[in-house]
Amino acid sequence: MNMPAGPELERLYDEHAQALHAFLLSFTRDPADTRDLLQEIFVKLARDGSLLHGVRQERAFLLRLAHNAAIDLIRRRGTRDRTRDHFAAESVSPFAPAADPDEATFRRELSTALAGLPPEQRAVAHLKLWENLTFEQIAATLEISPNTAASRYRYALDKMRDRLRPLYDEMKRAE
Amino acid sequence: MMSDELEQFEQRLRRQPLTSVPPEWRAEILAAARARQPQSACRTAPASSARAAFRDRLAAWLWPHPKAWAGVAAVWIVIAILQFSLRDEPAVRLAARPAPPSPELVAELRQQQKMFAELMGPAEVSPIDRQRSLFPRPRSERDLDRVSYAA
Repeated sequence: MNMPAGPELERLYDEHAQALHAFLLSFTRDPADTRDLLQEIFVKLARDGSLLHGVRQERAFLLRLAHNAAIDLIRRRGTRDRTRDHFAAESVSPFAPAADPDEATFRRELSTALAGLPPEQRAVAHLKLWENLTFEQIAATLEISPNTAASRYRYALDKMRDRLRPLYDEMKRAE
Repeated sequence: MMSDELEQFEQRLRRQPLTSVPPEWRAEILAAARARQPQSACRTAPASSARAAFRDRLAAWLWPHPKAWAGVAAVWIVIAILQFSLRDEPAVRLAARPAPPSPELVAELRQQQKMFAELMGPAEVSPIDRQRSLFPRPRSERDLDRVSYAA
């Protein structure tokens, strides 16, 4: 694939922007940062035509770009913005709003639980739960071993379960 | 929590819908991406696209069994190397082997030896030695002769 022209960029956006947006938002928990990073990815694609050459799984490749961009942002921010990051975790959710109050509460709590995970566990949990990637695919995307991906997922799931257990049990009883 | 409960919990998490990309972002992001597309890259696009198309076609052709193609290429390289090395070998062998003297040359040498003997005066040269000196022999035998003379 050579320099992605207008239609090619549009296709890439239409097919992958949703997934990239959700992934980036679960990382940054900030809409402005998410937008900046999403734009950064598409600018990179427009600038370097050879970027997608020979890539067989566009989605996985773009998620890797998104992950790297998000990690770079976290490093750039450093300690100064960690407080802001934590504050953002309270307010921005990567989940769609729910009409049902119980469901809305669950999503809010889930968002907080997800935000409380270390970035590397959060990335694996997101890719496994909402991108349906296998551990092998996650490993390839995040450049880690499949065993590491599996163990990070297990830790993440345990932490989220512990955090959500009271609410989850209550909702199950109500059902 | 048992494993089936964990699975139910996992399924519940999976069912949570993610928020959508704000629709206005699309135009803004794509416009920003196009604006930063380098002009030089656009000018060189036809050549690079032709190269890329060729590469893609080649890759598509080779892709089903890349290892098999690599194996075939390796076999051909080995065959070519063997072919070249075998072609060179007879020439070397011919060059190394001394050419047998022609009858005319032998007669000439005998004539010269006779004239030399006449010039040098009478000397005791056995017919066997005369015969030996006429025909060049392998270096190893000459060395043996020298050793035997020295002894």
